[in-house]
Amino acid sequence: MEKEEAILEVAGISKRFGGILALNRISLCLEKGCIVSMIGPNGAGKTTFVNAVTGIRPPDRGEINFQGEAISGLPAHCIASKGISRTFQLEELFGSLTVLENAMVGCHTRSHCGIFRCGFRLGAFRSEEKRMSEEAMEVLSILGLNQKACDSISTLSLGERKLVGVARALCMRPKLLLLDEPVGGLAAHEIRKFVTLIEGLAKDGLSIFIIEHNMGFVMSISEKVIVLNQGAKIAEGPPAEVKRNKVVIKAYIGEEVP
Amino acid sequence: MSIQERYRRPLAFAKLIAAVIILPILLPDKYVVTMMFFVAIYGVLSISLGLLVGYAGLFSLAQPTWFGLGAYIAGVLAARGIVPGSLGIVIAAVFVALVSYLLGLGVLRLKGHYLACATICVLIIGEIAFIQLSDITGGHSGLLDVPRLSLLGFAFKTDIHYYFLAWALCIACLCFFSNILCSRVGRAVKSSRDSDLASSAMGINIAKYRIQVFVLTSVASSLAGSILCFYLRFASPSIFSFSLLVQLILMIVVGGGGTLGGYLLGSFLIVWLGELLSVGLGKFLPVMTGEVQSIFFGLLIILFVIFLPDGLSRLPGKWFFLVKKVVGYLSITGKGLRLGQNGKGRSDS
Repeated sequence: MEKEEAILEVAGISKRFGGILALNRISLCLEKGCIVSMIGPNGAGKTTFVNAVTGIRPPDRGEINFQGEAISGLPAHCIASKGISRTFQLEELFGSLTVLENAMVGCHTRSHCGIFRCGFRLGAFRSEEKRMSEEAMEVLSILGLNQKACDSISTLSLGERKLVGVARALCMRPKLLLLDEPVGGLAAHEIRKFVTLIEGLAKDGLSIFIIEHNMGFVMSISEKVIVLNQGAKIAEGPPAEVKRNKVVIKAYIGEEVP
Repeated sequence: MSIQERYRRPLAFAKLIAAVIILPILLPDKYVVTMMFFVAIYGVLSISLGLLVGYAGLFSLAQPTWFGLGAYIAGVLAARGIVPGSLGIVIAAVFVALVSYLLGLGVLRLKGHYLACATICVLIIGEIAFIQLSDITGGHSGLLDVPRLSLLGFAFKTDIHYYFLAWALCIACLCFFSNILCSRVGRAVKSSRDSDLASSAMGINIAKYRIQVFVLTSVASSLAGSILCFYLRFASPSIFSFSLLVQLILMIVVGGGGTLGGYLLGSFLIVWLGELLSVGLGKFLPVMTGEVQSIFFGLLIILFVIFLPDGLSRLPGKWFFLVKKVVGYLSITGKGLRLGQNGKGRSDS
């Protein structure tokens, strides 16, 4: 029964950059519809983990199963089209496109017109284009960005940019959403709005995996917290338990000198 | 989307088509028609190159080679009487599509300057091949005796026929490529230039779209080359050389501004500017016309990159900004000079 509910199973993945072992046999399991967070000091390998799962920097070793299907070794765009979408720590938005167009890029995997149908405006081109812009607009209005739909990315504030990244990812209608530092640099009221949004998404059945440094945010939102240090998993469990974990405290603050 | 926005593009195309039709009626001058023929041919090339460089971020500089291959293959097949001209154009386009596809599989893995280096090698190899395969191409003396083109039973005889053929191709390319740019494929291509990481994380197969755009722009250039060859009834390696590439880059920089129409504007300006220069210079410097023209074009690229990096197509409404920028630039250099005279570096202040 429990096996069926797992959406992502990661078994012993490792990644080495030159002399640094960025990920050291990480195994974990994400359940469907849960919010799971990963924390750890800078350089612990959190972003490397997300890059490994999404196929942007495939792991050297180990297995990744998404909905029971092996995805390790597939190119990034194939993994994305299976239903894993992500945001980036440094946004990585498309600066030459408007907010709406950024979101519409997210609809890419759910549209099918090839280059000739687009070039000659044949067949389902018009209806598909209309459907994509409507869906993207819908997502933007959920996130409160509909007023900014035609603006260019460079005019947005940091908080709005982070939201565009989320909108783009949500337009893919993913089954698993990976958020890489979604609230880093945001103001308190923006974070509160974000928490409501994320909880709403999880209630609708979306599985969410968050990397974040903001402890208050992580501890309040997550059902499970995973702690990474120097490429290895050092703790896993409910927030309250992880907070008390000796190894975690040692990794973050250091050991008391006797 | 407002009504104005919605009809902006069809209106622009209607204006362009009307201008193309009206021009030879208003000015039935052979000279003007010939020049405008070249504007259309080079327009196809600058639109293709602009799409690659400006939108897809692919610094592919082999456009003159595809242009030359289109001209030589169609020209040689027709001159030898192997196949009729119209079929020759198709064979050339298919051949160019195949070659650019195979080349693209390899070189499109490269980015930025590396891609530019690789494709410039293709350009140089092409230039040498056109000269050295003299049994087929006629070498330096060029390919002679190319017959007139006849397409679907219509014989293209006069300049005005070729004028309309070239403009039909140019407008078709403009329409096709601009349709692509405002579609999901266009967004995929543009997004992969901005951030290939995010683009592939959105499920976009970047390699696939890059190669499609690469092949299609090559085919467009090949078609333009074939038409040019039938118009001139001649082809020579010097037409498809490095200097053509410089002119194409100039067209993109001068017209520019991130619109395909801007690249066509660039073609218009540079073809006419080049012509006026060579006519004007011919009187003063009958010997050195070509060299002076190259120097002038080189200087023009530098000036545009500094003062008008968006090109002329964005100029309306921007002239004030330009004046400010020129004044600002002059005051900075002036300040720099003054500091230099006082024996102080700028970092001291």
